[in-house]
Amino acid sequence: MATIFNNVRINMNGKFFPGQKVLVENGKINMVGSSIFKNVENVIECEQRYLVPGLIDAHTHLGLAEPGDKLSDITESELPITPQLRPLDGIRMHSRALEDARRAGITTCMVCPGSDSPIAGICSILKTNGNSADVGLIVEQAGVLMSFGEEPKGRAKSYRHELSTSMGLTALIRETIMKAQDYNIAKQNKKIVKDREIDMEALLPLIKGEVPMRVSAHRAEDILSAIRIAEEFELKIIIEHGTEAHLIAPILAEKQIPVVIGPTLVPKLRHELNEKTFEGAKILADAGVDIALTCDYPGLPIETLRVAAAMAVQYGLDEKIALAAITENPAKILGIDERIGKIRKGYDADLALFSGHPLDIRSKLEALCVDGDLFIFSDKIRIED
Amino acid sequence: MGKGLTYIMKTVLEKGQIFYQGKFQNLEKLVIEKGKITEINLVSAKPKKGKAAPATKKKSPEADNIVNCEGKFILPGFIDAHTHISLEQDGIGQSDSDTNEVFGLVTPQVRAYDAVKMRDNCFKEAVEAGITTVMIAPGSANPIGGQCCIVKTVGKIVDEACVKESAGLKMAFGENPKRVYGDQKKFPSTRMGTAAVIREWLMKAQDYLKRKKTKEFKDREIKLEALLPVIEGKTSVRAHAHQADDIITAYRIAQEFNLDLIFDHCTEGHLIATELGKWKAKAVVGPTMVTRKKVELRNRSYKTVETLMDEGCLVAITTDHPVMPIDSLNVAAAICVKHGLDEDRAIKAITENPAAILGLEKRLGKLEVGFDADIVIWKTHPLDARSQPEQVYVDGNRVV
Repeated sequence: MATIFNNVRINMNGKFFPGQKVLVENGKINMVGSSIFKNVENVIECEQRYLVPGLIDAHTHLGLAEPGDKLSDITESELPITPQLRPLDGIRMHSRALEDARRAGITTCMVCPGSDSPIAGICSILKTNGNSADVGLIVEQAGVLMSFGEEPKGRAKSYRHELSTSMGLTALIRETIMKAQDYNIAKQNKKIVKDREIDMEALLPLIKGEVPMRVSAHRAEDILSAIRIAEEFELKIIIEHGTEAHLIAPILAEKQIPVVIGPTLVPKLRHELNEKTFEGAKILADAGVDIALTCDYPGLPIETLRVAAAMAVQYGLDEKIALAAITENPAKILGIDERIGKIRKGYDADLALFSGHPLDIRSKLEALCVDGDLFIFSDKIRIED
Repeated sequence: MGKGLTYIMKTVLEKGQIFYQGKFQNLEKLVIEKGKITEINLVSAKPKKGKAAPATKKKSPEADNIVNCEGKFILPGFIDAHTHISLEQDGIGQSDSDTNEVFGLVTPQVRAYDAVKMRDNCFKEAVEAGITTVMIAPGSANPIGGQCCIVKTVGKIVDEACVKESAGLKMAFGENPKRVYGDQKKFPSTRMGTAAVIREWLMKAQDYLKRKKTKEFKDREIKLEALLPVIEGKTSVRAHAHQADDIITAYRIAQEFNLDLIFDHCTEGHLIATELGKWKAKAVVGPTMVTRKKVELRNRSYKTVETLMDEGCLVAITTDHPVMPIDSLNVAAAICVKHGLDEDRAIKAITENPAAILGLEKRLGKLEVGFDADIVIWKTHPLDARSQPEQVYVDGNRVV
């Protein structure tokens, strides 16, 4: 089935140009331009509304975090090292939060286990449509989530884990990666028949450099500890939260380490959040660091993703970068920028139609397209056959 | 990590009293270039030359910074060879402490280096008190506590301040481990138990070393990897011991496993001074300005430092920050002077002795050609508690 979004404004290098058309066919964007003449089933008259790529949140626990501890599937609290956990096995696609995500214009998200385990599990990338996680799945193994700082320390202390300080959790991560390296070497040795170990198997793509360590860290020192480990074991690394990342922006820029910033719209309830500022995004972007913004659902409601971008603009971030930080930048950081994050021929038909400028909080999402599936949220939108 | 500091090309200190070769002498000129001391000339003495140091007649190139130190005291930056700075954070304390793995028991794999926070206010206070290098150790809750590190007190991130990432493995004897695990109703809850735990792991490490040399060896074990440098004698054991018997137990184990040993605290050291002297012991004594709130502190004395030095031990004085605040290091030395210690020896106990104990005697703790330019200029005598450093240089950069 083909659809044309008629007469929309499209972002071109920071400016929204009116009078554009976007043709969607078979779940992909087939044509973008002002002069598309084709008879299709659906013509959506957009009357100069703003069409942006479906928004992306590069760090969420959507579908895992449910109301109430007993329903939550977010963390294996007793075990500190659980790389074998896969979000797909826990996501509830009919969670209210996924509906909220679609209504906020979010079409793609990274879902990971909770960030209070030193090594929590793998990260998966999925679309927000679909009745089952498998339908929406883009990449299942997109990284291994590791955590530093007060959250894993607090958890470890309350469960009386063997290691419960920054020193200890760093050592625990180092130990696990060391084991995975030795496991890998033994596995390649044809003479040794080795029983598989499910946690080590999950780490193989990481130590082979195929996927990054995704490091949930707030303090500058914790970020640096993670970088030290990444360099020691030659791993790719992405920083999540990065509350104090702006304090070491030149180092992150030099090492080309991206940061997924947020949640920023939260109170400073822990010591490690003391330096939190909305200016962080601007400082990092100015230094040349690739940034994306996140709500860290359920850290913040998923529908506040645009608010995070707008607040960053209020505190000095360039509007163009702010918009990129919830579209093309997270796509790049997630390694899916070949098909997602832009309105471009050949890309997935993930589109969000807003009544006004997408960074104006008053603008309303009126229609959403995920892989060509249409969701209409406004009776003002006319579809002509 | 790149060095964040930029070097002033050249600084010259002129005149004043320099603490040189163990005593105060009249300085004519001290030259700092690229973070190192390159020339020291004393008044009415043969000029000490650096490699290519020009004779005094020759006109030296223009200095960027000439400091007249007339009437002032020039000393090496002080060194505290036993602290927990920023593991126990200033103004945060127990609510987010990285000092002890209180459930871990044997944690040689943990490194203080991974928890150092250079923004802790106490680093600033340390520099302002003339302390330019500190050893940072994990706490004494565990029989085997973790790896210590050595850092300068200046730097935005720890990798800039780093002197040694891993410098000595902390072990603890006496009341602390038995209290921590006894209270949890776990083993060990006696001194015998603590010693047994340590012995057990040193044995494991020895066997691991043997196993590692065979072809069958595959899987590394991080705890035993961390113990290897200790049993190979490449790094020292930092033995937390107050009571004389604990000091002796540490020594007994060290002999058994052929370890390089440094005694930390050594509160009852003066009771067994002859033995410690015979062993040519290295001791980091302190904190002394504390109340005797544990049984093992009941003989705490300001005489310990002098008594041990008299017997030929290598002795340094420590604050054990945060037990005593880091900026009280010179006061701790001054109190020893009040109780009879020679002034010059007291200064050595917070400069060259800790440097030697930390294995940095060729780089830190003295004002010598080729040494790091960690230099403090005091307006009045540094052991006068009223004194404040006027200028502090770390790696040749003025930081105060």
